[in-house]
Amino acid sequence: MSSNTLSILKLIGRKLAQLVVVLFVVTLFTFLLVRLLPGDPVDLLVPVSTDTTDESDRAIIEARRQQITDDLDLNDPLPKQYITWIGGFVTGDLGNEYTVSSTIPVSDAVTSALPPTTQLILYSQILAVLLALPVGVISAYRQGGIFDRIANVSAFGSLSLPGFAIGLLLAYWVGVRLNPSLPTWINIPPQGYTPFPGLNPANWSFEPRTPDSVPDHFFGMLLPALSLALGQFAVYMRLLRSDMIQTLQEDFILMAKSKGISNGRVLWRHALRPSSLTLLTVAGLSVGTLIGNAVVIEVVFGIPGMGTLIASSIIGREFITLQSSVAIVAIAFVVINALLDILYSVLDPRIRNVRAA
Amino acid sequence: MTHARRRTGRTLALLVTLALLLAACGGGKGESGGNAEEQDAVDPVRGGSVTYGQEAETGDGWCLPESQLAISGINVARAIYDTLTAPNAEGEYVPNLAEAVEPNDDFTEWTITLRDGVTFHDGSPLTAEVVKNNIDAYRGQYEGRAALLFIFVLDNIDTVEATGPMDVTVTTKVPWVAFPAFLFSSGRLGIIAQAQLDDADSCDRDLIGTGPFKIKSWNKGRELVAVKNPDYWQMAPDGEPYPYLDEIRFTPIVESEQRVNALQAGDVDLAHFSDAQSFVSLNSLADDGIVKNRDSEAFAEVAFVQINSSKPPFDDVRVRQALAMAVDRQDYKEVINQGLFTIASGPYAPGAVGYLEDAGYPTQNIDEAKRLIAEYEQENGPLPPVSYQATPGTVTQQIAVYLQQAVKAVGVQLDLATVQQDKLIDNAISGDYDIMGFRNYPGGDPDELYVWWKSDSPVNFGRINDPEIDRLLDEGRSEPDPAKRKAIYEDLNRQFGSEVWSAWSSWTTWRISSQPSVYGYTLDTLPKLPDGSDPFTGLATGFPTMGLWVTQ
Repeated sequence: MSSNTLSILKLIGRKLAQLVVVLFVVTLFTFLLVRLLPGDPVDLLVPVSTDTTDESDRAIIEARRQQITDDLDLNDPLPKQYITWIGGFVTGDLGNEYTVSSTIPVSDAVTSALPPTTQLILYSQILAVLLALPVGVISAYRQGGIFDRIANVSAFGSLSLPGFAIGLLLAYWVGVRLNPSLPTWINIPPQGYTPFPGLNPANWSFEPRTPDSVPDHFFGMLLPALSLALGQFAVYMRLLRSDMIQTLQEDFILMAKSKGISNGRVLWRHALRPSSLTLLTVAGLSVGTLIGNAVVIEVVFGIPGMGTLIASSIIGREFITLQSSVAIVAIAFVVINALLDILYSVLDPRIRNVRAA
Repeated sequence: MTHARRRTGRTLALLVTLALLLAACGGGKGESGGNAEEQDAVDPVRGGSVTYGQEAETGDGWCLPESQLAISGINVARAIYDTLTAPNAEGEYVPNLAEAVEPNDDFTEWTITLRDGVTFHDGSPLTAEVVKNNIDAYRGQYEGRAALLFIFVLDNIDTVEATGPMDVTVTTKVPWVAFPAFLFSSGRLGIIAQAQLDDADSCDRDLIGTGPFKIKSWNKGRELVAVKNPDYWQMAPDGEPYPYLDEIRFTPIVESEQRVNALQAGDVDLAHFSDAQSFVSLNSLADDGIVKNRDSEAFAEVAFVQINSSKPPFDDVRVRQALAMAVDRQDYKEVINQGLFTIASGPYAPGAVGYLEDAGYPTQNIDEAKRLIAEYEQENGPLPPVSYQATPGTVTQQIAVYLQQAVKAVGVQLDLATVQQDKLIDNAISGDYDIMGFRNYPGGDPDELYVWWKSDSPVNFGRINDPEIDRLLDEGRSEPDPAKRKAIYEDLNRQFGSEVWSAWSSWTTWRISSQPSVYGYTLDTLPKLPDGSDPFTGLATGFPTMGLWVTQ
């Protein structure tokens, strides 16, 4: 085994150990945070006053409150509640949504909510990076020029507008006004979600407005993803621009230029890679922000994702659903950042070597 | 009665059910574009599918005895299930799934005779036993089901017996004249199949009714798809069973602006609305021929400021009156509701028994309000600041600020408290509030509001403790003479006006907007009731979707 591989394995081992600690803290914090929300879930599930003077009514209400308290184990000490929940959580049992009428595993809700959110975040990240890369690179190359100034103003503009406002504007101007004048194979609706029709291409349809339509899925996600991406684009573009400006002043760039390598090749092959490390880190850290913003964007565009699930769990004080959902998001956040950290080291051997030393 | 209503999920449903949503979103009548004429409508066309945009998801599902349905949930329930009675144009509750609902002489015993040959979507027959079990489930007397709010609403039921294969006899504790109205209960008291009633695991989502549509799929948060019930018992004028459509899709679009966008873009075929901003946008679209609208404020809910009358200072009628006198409601209408929506004179909307054009509710009188406050302060010391609780929405906050400025003019300091909707419910339940924004009391029979105002009711959120109100509620419940009954509820309306138990804002106008190709929801195209009477004119509890048809 080479020393390189060994050092990477050590790094991964160290990261995994850190991950366990972080996840314990995250789940405990989530659990406590949910319990600290104001109000009693029993009040919401039994929405009647207990101070009625009618004895029989009061008895019915008290019995129902007691039943829900027992069902939710709300009288157990907090440590016991945490251990019960985390014990199930690590074995894949996320508990059940509490409804009077049925038993619905939280895992069902999460399984159905994860794909839309994952897609939304993935597409918005791709859009943000695809927009930020050329604009950031060209802005750095033409620092102070007209393109740079326009790009900077645009970036500040998109940063200053909240995602939901961008979403509503896009929904109206693109989804309602522009969409009818687009070619028929392009259908950009102002709201709604079309699931991706699975991984089997045999099930795919390329006709718009048909079941299992692949174009409908992507065009349907365009506006929500763009609403999320514009804010991120501004951050990424500014970071990349600033890193690129520094990189372009490095000796190895001067060396490359002196060898007669074209400007394009210098920019895209030599300067971009070392300049993208901060961008990569921030892109990873942005996942948490994107999830937060997705809560609003999903509601605006009617996407039944994790954001919608978390929001409805907060409003409905669905403790079990909420803590499981938030824990999953937190775990995803931590894991993605750990992976990025590893990737960071792979991309830049200097970092790996420093850490190994 | 009214049962629980919000949310994507439980809370939104709960909110609306309990009638929480703020005075803000009140309804009203559009100035233009409302009430589409369909004289040129083509004959009903069979087949096709429509997508119906809803303001919320019904997170709790449709295990009806336990569900807390808002308008969006009611719309689905009325497509899947039938109620034993239904209201007609006059606001009378006539037999629907029942063939007859007849009282004894003193209204203490009601016999429900069921229609022969009706089957549920699973093929099981409609029998007296199933209906008895349903009513028992609603009133909390059926093993395995856990109703709550209906227990209090149907508290007057003493016994329920299946007295024949198709006959159910219900006895009541006191004479109950309006019992048929409770068999509708704003469309919430649908009859569900025995298999669903006994389903411990999925009663909320495996829906089995007798209604015009059968559930095909429910993707929570995205859409509920229901397909035609080919064996439906109600016949259309063409001699074939309703419904006309092959399929109806209910899709939740929470943001009203997005519902307008979806309608304009053709993503939904029809949608419902109750906020002023949407009305303005839809009026403009209707003028351009892009959509058509139908409005109704008949039998509507009312938006109001709920007053906690159990504690100072609002336990004193003078302070409540001063609160009412501080506000110029015409100005409020212009500023908050953009000139739309009718100012409410009381809890009973036009069309409902008890409605009065003038119920004696105070008009703006700053000097008199100041005098009342001064009189109160002379006896009780300086008036403490009072809090107004409102949710974070734009319009609800506008209302809060408007009220703050209005009452300041009469010397009342109003502290604004922004609370989330769930906290608002908690506070209404616990009485931990001074005043707050509400919307409630959908019209039907006035006796259905008994549970909200009776002094010992667990859902009397205003803590109204008025022997006169209690007396009128009890008298109205058992009075068989329509004229006397009308007088009782008008007196009750006046009692609300003089005592200012609530500060009325406006009646909620509901609007149905659709693509021009959608028919069957306007007054001239709605299906008649089984007894041949004209259809109900209100929209607060939805409309029968079996009569919808689409030409393209």
